[in-house]
Amino acid sequence: MAQRAVWLISHEPGTPLCGTVRFSRRYPTVEKRARVFNGASYVPIPEDGPFLKALLFELRLLDDDKDFVESRDSCSRINKTSIYGLLIGGEELWPVVAFLKNDIIYACVPLVEQTLSPRPPLISVSGVSQGFEFLFGIQDFLYSGQKNDSELNTKLSQLPDLLLQACPFGTLLDANLKNSLDNTNFASVTQPQKQPAWKTGTYKGKPQVSISITEKVKSMQYDKQGIADTWQVVGTVTCKCDLEGIMPNVTISLNLPTNGSPLQDILVHPCVTSLDSAILTSSSIDAMDDSAFSGPYKFPLTPPLESFNLCYYTSQVPVPPILGFYQLKEEEVQLRITINLKLHESVKNNFEFCEAHIPFYNRGPITHLEYKTSFGQLEVFREKSLLIWIIGQKFPKSMEISLSGTVTFGAKSHEKQPFDPICIGETAYLKLHFRILDYTLTGCYADQHSVQVFASGKPKISAYRKLISSDYYIWNSKAPAPVTYGSLLL
Amino acid sequence: MEYPAQLWPDVSAAEVAATSLLDTLVLLPPRPSALRRPLLLAATTALAAGGSLGPTSGASCRLLPLLLGLAAGSDLGRGFVPASEQRPLQATACECLRELESCKPGLLGGSLGLLRGLLGQEGPVQPLSLLLALALRNTLVLQSRVGAGLGGLLTDKVPPTGGGPWDWTLVEEGDGRLQPQAPSWPAAEEGEGERSLTAREHSPEEARELRAAVIQLLDTSYLLTPVAQAQLLWLLGWALRGLQGQPPALFKPQLVRLLGTAQLTLLHAVLALKAAFGEALFTAQDEALLLRRLTLAAQHPALPPPTHLFYLHCLLSFPENWPLGPEGEEAAPLLLGPQLCRGLLPSLLHDPMALLARLHLLCLLCAEDEEEEKGQLPSPRHYLEELLAGLRQRAALDEGPRALATVCFQASYLVTRCLAGQPTVLTPLIHGLAQLYRVRPMLASHFVDFLDQVDSELREPLKVVLRQEVVSRPGRDEALCWHLKMLAKVADGDAQSATLNFLQAAAAHCTNWDLQQGLLRVCRALLRAGVRGGLVDLLQVLARQLEDPDGRDHARLYYILLAHLAGPKLGVALGPSLAPPALASSLVAENQGFVAALMVQEAPALVRLSVGSHGVKGPLPVLKLQPEALEPIYSLELRFRVEGQLYAPLEAVHVPCLCPGRPARPLLLPLQPRCPAPARLDVHALYTTSTGLTCHAHLPPLFVNFADLFLPFPKPPGGAGLGFFEELWDSCLPEGAESRVWCPLGPQGLEGLVSHHLEPFVVVAQPPTSYYVAIHLPPNSKLLLRLEAALADGVPVALRTDDWAVLPLAGDYLRGLAAAL
Repeated sequence: MAQRAVWLISHEPGTPLCGTVRFSRRYPTVEKRARVFNGASYVPIPEDGPFLKALLFELRLLDDDKDFVESRDSCSRINKTSIYGLLIGGEELWPVVAFLKNDIIYACVPLVEQTLSPRPPLISVSGVSQGFEFLFGIQDFLYSGQKNDSELNTKLSQLPDLLLQACPFGTLLDANLKNSLDNTNFASVTQPQKQPAWKTGTYKGKPQVSISITEKVKSMQYDKQGIADTWQVVGTVTCKCDLEGIMPNVTISLNLPTNGSPLQDILVHPCVTSLDSAILTSSSIDAMDDSAFSGPYKFPLTPPLESFNLCYYTSQVPVPPILGFYQLKEEEVQLRITINLKLHESVKNNFEFCEAHIPFYNRGPITHLEYKTSFGQLEVFREKSLLIWIIGQKFPKSMEISLSGTVTFGAKSHEKQPFDPICIGETAYLKLHFRILDYTLTGCYADQHSVQVFASGKPKISAYRKLISSDYYIWNSKAPAPVTYGSLLL
Repeated sequence: MEYPAQLWPDVSAAEVAATSLLDTLVLLPPRPSALRRPLLLAATTALAAGGSLGPTSGASCRLLPLLLGLAAGSDLGRGFVPASEQRPLQATACECLRELESCKPGLLGGSLGLLRGLLGQEGPVQPLSLLLALALRNTLVLQSRVGAGLGGLLTDKVPPTGGGPWDWTLVEEGDGRLQPQAPSWPAAEEGEGERSLTAREHSPEEARELRAAVIQLLDTSYLLTPVAQAQLLWLLGWALRGLQGQPPALFKPQLVRLLGTAQLTLLHAVLALKAAFGEALFTAQDEALLLRRLTLAAQHPALPPPTHLFYLHCLLSFPENWPLGPEGEEAAPLLLGPQLCRGLLPSLLHDPMALLARLHLLCLLCAEDEEEEKGQLPSPRHYLEELLAGLRQRAALDEGPRALATVCFQASYLVTRCLAGQPTVLTPLIHGLAQLYRVRPMLASHFVDFLDQVDSELREPLKVVLRQEVVSRPGRDEALCWHLKMLAKVADGDAQSATLNFLQAAAAHCTNWDLQQGLLRVCRALLRAGVRGGLVDLLQVLARQLEDPDGRDHARLYYILLAHLAGPKLGVALGPSLAPPALASSLVAENQGFVAALMVQEAPALVRLSVGSHGVKGPLPVLKLQPEALEPIYSLELRFRVEGQLYAPLEAVHVPCLCPGRPARPLLLPLQPRCPAPARLDVHALYTTSTGLTCHAHLPPLFVNFADLFLPFPKPPGGAGLGFFEELWDSCLPEGAESRVWCPLGPQGLEGLVSHHLEPFVVVAQPPTSYYVAIHLPPNSKLLLRLEAALADGVPVALRTDDWAVLPLAGDYLRGLAAAL
């Protein structure tokens, strides 16, 4: 369950080493156990330098992929998880849990409590999931609310102290590093008994509960025979419960209007104490029918102090909020494009913003553009070969808008115009970006009656909702487009 | 602290460090200090990592009571712990104890009752729970190994032994060896059979207490952080696995709560319980539910990609109640049908790792429905084909990064591995790859690697189409170097003329060293494949025409090899080098290959020689050798060298063939002594192995004994008799030497001794008491023996020789006879 070492590495393409170790921590008592457990197959934790080099090579983050290198490019070297074996000094260090996120590589080496030869199945190594959770915890800490480099540096400098709290000997005590931060900040005087380990103190003040529901909608629209358009809603419910008492019991319910789309694939926060079996079993894997559970979705819980993600869900709404149609044809030296977008009448026509990005990959800069649009303005990014159609806050009364035109391109220069392995020839897409406040596609909402608190004093309830687009693609219907297996189901 | 080997190079240094850390701790003023916690952690680390933790270590004997006192929240006197710091330090002490227990399992076996009591009161829940669970797990494992029960360990607040609450004896029983902590995954447990938990039986009372302790731990587990909950479940799962009378149903109340979460650690811990208890904890319906939750977690958009991949891995390694396939191999669980997998199938939009993981699942699905069910679902095989075509299209992109090609070949490889023997999949794959090569020959390295990795089922047909792809195109474009690389891999005895035509045409365009080497590599491949006819002409042309002298030399060398070596030898000569190249240069590697094949190799001896009984025919002593081969060897030549030049140089002995198990004729080695003395023969063997290599080996030396040189005197015309012997006897003096030796006799008496050793040399015999023996020692010495008046235990021997140097040898020989009988 323990970790032998952990690293944070910033990925810096273009520099000689392509990266720098920003933080590393080794756990000597765990290492001592590793030596005994692994026996003859023991491989010691390397120094930072060789580790950095081997990891970047394995993750294909070194700049040199010009030549075929068998130890990296061989067809039989297949990695299907974020867990690697690193060749260092002729020996293979395994398992190394590692992933890249926001230009930082998070890596750790879990202790395997038996011999490594033969390799035990990955699923039997308890340290692997602990390692992932450790790295996710660090990632959350580094990126929660932080936007610039100096903030990142400050947080990195706090890490040694935090890990002394959260992971003093290599066995993780709490993946939520913010708890440890609070722990170091105030030495709580006398904590009463049965204090949950994930709650470092108690709240004093006016009781209030805030619930915010964010739905992201993604879609793949092809406008083609034999290929179904797909769309899906993914919801995240975030709560902050400021309630007095050590362990206030709260029940939060999410409701749907009568014509709402049932929530599925619900994953809850560990603080939820019990779960209705209808919630547990409602799943997008099954074919939908009218008998699907449509709430209210009740979550009894004892909330932590900080803001937390109460649950995630998905939902299959009957229609996509915006139905698109995109045609692109190559006509000698120019491309002719036609776009139609139609907002569904049931959707709230009041956007925070709405725009369509129309990129042209694997071509030169835009040299000439003629267009006609029924609504909104068009911005042209010539060097990036990108058009942005700014639709604004509202669709017109007809709910339907269109754009058509011709685009001409100059000679390709590799540095500036983007390469894309999918958009070859006439294969192309446009991507919608929009946000609607105080609205959910499923209809899911929380209100004054959604929160039951079994403690003195009625809390003030605030509820928020928003809908955001994410991966909302409309493909050129005149060319082949990448499909998922799901789109073949008609 | 991160580098204990540097900080504390030996145990005593660690002990000193821990002691001084503890001294500092005691000196802290009685007010809150940020130092106490780090000091405790540091002292623990020093003891555990420095290796000095033990009953004889002074620092250990100070730290352990201190930690246990702190953990128990007891008053340590003199305001040692300020009240405000007591609780945090209580937790820290538990963490330290947990680390020590991890490093020395069984250490806290005597404190189980105490810890349980603390957990029931108001101790900090998480540190105490984890400490208790770990100590309980370790104790159960250790006790079961020695066949003991828990006794009153769980209830006794005061430790049973007088030595303190830490149980060094239990640690000793652990043999100082750490026990795997993971609740053993069935597949991971192989070879650990002895720990197959020999039916740990506990008395009803013990079982009740144990159950109560586990329930106590589980009931408060929701107060732990998710990662700590997972640790607790792994520990308890391992502790209860195989315990009789402990129904795993104890875990049931926790499961629904755990299944609802998205926490990786928690679902992983549930899987561990599933693996540990199987049907006893998860009914078929539970299993189906777990599988569904796992399936949905593996694709849930709210979870990060590394989590998806790990869940996907868990799905393919899912611990089923009734697994059908072989253990340890990834397979889709039975309950995971195409309907469930729908959302887990790959598409071109996935990143390479997700794509390959999902592709694996798709392949498994395709392998399953071989009969191609005609349901409403689109055919997975058709989808697979489309996907592979898409991948090849991306790999064919001119500007595409290498990673796109790599993933295409990885996917193809995965498909061939999972769907071997399915022509409906492999045939389009082969043609698709050939087409990819046509469009982008610069992927030749990937093709060569791919051909190296796949089975012959795919390799042979793919080679054929790729060769056609290459030779059907006149070679003068910039892709020539790739074509040559490809051809060096795929050229063989088939389609010779097309290949040679291509090469002839290409030769004119091979203007630089690289291309010429590429061309020669193809020639070499053809040589190996046994192509002779047209190749001779081509090599001759190349040897004349190539611009580069190195290229010409190589062509000439190949030509000479082709002209002079027989087929099999040529194959070996050009085969892969046996010796690892000293330099990464291909030329060096190639030369080493030649060296290996054409020169004599030093090798361990594959042949054994033993000296057989010696014959006494003829005018010279002859050594009879019995050869024995360990592997088939051919053209064996044995060379002998006499140490000290005591004999004339020996002729080599030749054996055409030796096979193990087949008796070989003895080899006769005539000796020509220059003086009558025993000698040591140095033996070397030179032979050819069945792979065509010529080897040289040094065999153990052979010894020629004194008696091996004995020859009888030629019979005089008047017949040998007493007169003949007396004549010889008298002729020895005065130049020679005379002696008397006591020759001990064994139970067979004098008669037995003579008949066994001296029979051929007896001139006059009066059995059983008297024998006159005359021995000719080449080149021209004699040894005469009179054995007379034997007693029960020995016989006095009068001996004469004309060569005084023989005397000591003869004495030794006679004295040794009895022993040799």
